[in-house]
Amino acid sequence: MPDSDNDSGGPSNAGGELSSPREQDRFLPIANVSRIMKKALPANAKISKDAKETVQECVSEFISFITGEASDKCQREKRKTINGDDLLWAMTTLGFEDYVEPLKHYLHKFREIEGERAAASAGASGSQQQQQQGELPRGAANAAGYAGYGAPGSGGMMMMMMGQPMYGGSQPQQQPPPPQPPQQQQQHQQHHMAIGGRGGFGQQGGGGGSSSSSGLGRQDRA
Amino acid sequence: MDNQPLPYSTGQPPAPGGAPVAGMPGAAGLPPVPHHHLLQQQQAQLQAFWAYQRQEAERASASDFKNHQLPLARIKKIMKADEDVRMISAEAPVLFAKACELFILELTIRSWLHAEENKRRTLQRNDVAAAIARTDVFDFLVDIVPREEAKEEPGSALGFAAPGTGVVGAGAPGGAPAAGMPYYYPPMGQPAPMMPAWHVPAWDPAWQQGAADVDQSGSFSEEGQGFGAGHGGAASFPPAPPTSE
Repeated sequence: MPDSDNDSGGPSNAGGELSSPREQDRFLPIANVSRIMKKALPANAKISKDAKETVQECVSEFISFITGEASDKCQREKRKTINGDDLLWAMTTLGFEDYVEPLKHYLHKFREIEGERAAASAGASGSQQQQQQGELPRGAANAAGYAGYGAPGSGGMMMMMMGQPMYGGSQPQQQPPPPQPPQQQQQHQQHHMAIGGRGGFGQQGGGGGSSSSSGLGRQDRA
Repeated sequence: MDNQPLPYSTGQPPAPGGAPVAGMPGAAGLPPVPHHHLLQQQQAQLQAFWAYQRQEAERASASDFKNHQLPLARIKKIMKADEDVRMISAEAPVLFAKACELFILELTIRSWLHAEENKRRTLQRNDVAAAIARTDVFDFLVDIVPREEAKEEPGSALGFAAPGTGVVGAGAPGGAPAAGMPYYYPPMGQPAPMMPAWHVPAWDPAWQQGAADVDQSGSFSEEGQGFGAGHGGAASFPPAPPTSE
């Protein structure tokens, strides 16, 4: 099947940080969006490319919309870090009450698992800086991964967590990324995106080790 | 919420006698579903959807947080496009990955209603625009998807899919055989978990059986890009399907 070739060169399928702004970085990958859309439709339904691209844009706007509200709250309270509860508060404020209950459960589970990870591996990298993603240690990660799968071999769609690779045994074909960066730089953003009005914007990368290998289905946009 | 008056809803036939309906019992005599019934079906579908999501969220496991449906790095980059955003905790992109999945599912469900009303089997951009126009919580999107085209597709030829087209559409690996059935067919041995409470939804979306049947129809999709491994974005909790455990 065809595959876009707009990511030649660059680290890890251009999911990582590039020095120049990229159009595709404004959106989530169209393949991921499309796959989720199909889950909401009957099996024989089709989705036009226009519809996929439109939903792609809507999702980015959703992220910016919620993030903006959460960021405003953090500033009022003189906090610097946006956390999960801020996002849940913002969703409630902006009318997405239906989302909050399942997401609370989800967040609770995530924190539980993070707690287990911290207990299993004292001094884990998760405590080094707040912006990093926690990850299960190797043995636990393998166990959890296999428990969750009927079969390994989904390497093509595995993602690297920010600054940390996953060491699951089912990813032999994936290149190990560079070691965890010592610290993630806080890059100054050059552009401000207003809700409801979207122009092109550049985004400088931060943290050399960050990357995502799930850029499959990247689209060409004029 | 109102219950559907129809005991069984097979959705809206493309047209009485207007398309072959072999294999669909009694469909020829079934009148088209009126608009308010479609709205009721949509409400039932959305209620079932949210009820299911609440159940599913409690079953999240470590593997779910390793294998997100959406890339965390990209989510973080979009968050940081706002220059006021400084630091983001590790849990924020994880939470957004799930929130965006819910958002995409809800928007797509609501868009599909509009496609149904126009007797189409292909979701179009103006279906998304219509869903946004009808849903207050999506007001922030009205500028993203301007709705200048009221009828983007004058002919609804796609809506009257011939059995051949149905075969192509349903021939994807893992898909149930739907040849000759222009609309709705029962899931592969997976009864809808919310059936007693909400009656039969307008259609049987895959989110109820995501654990058992990940969509692998990339080779038949209309997008120009290919897919990687079909199970790369494995649905949450494969070992415990939501029904009859």
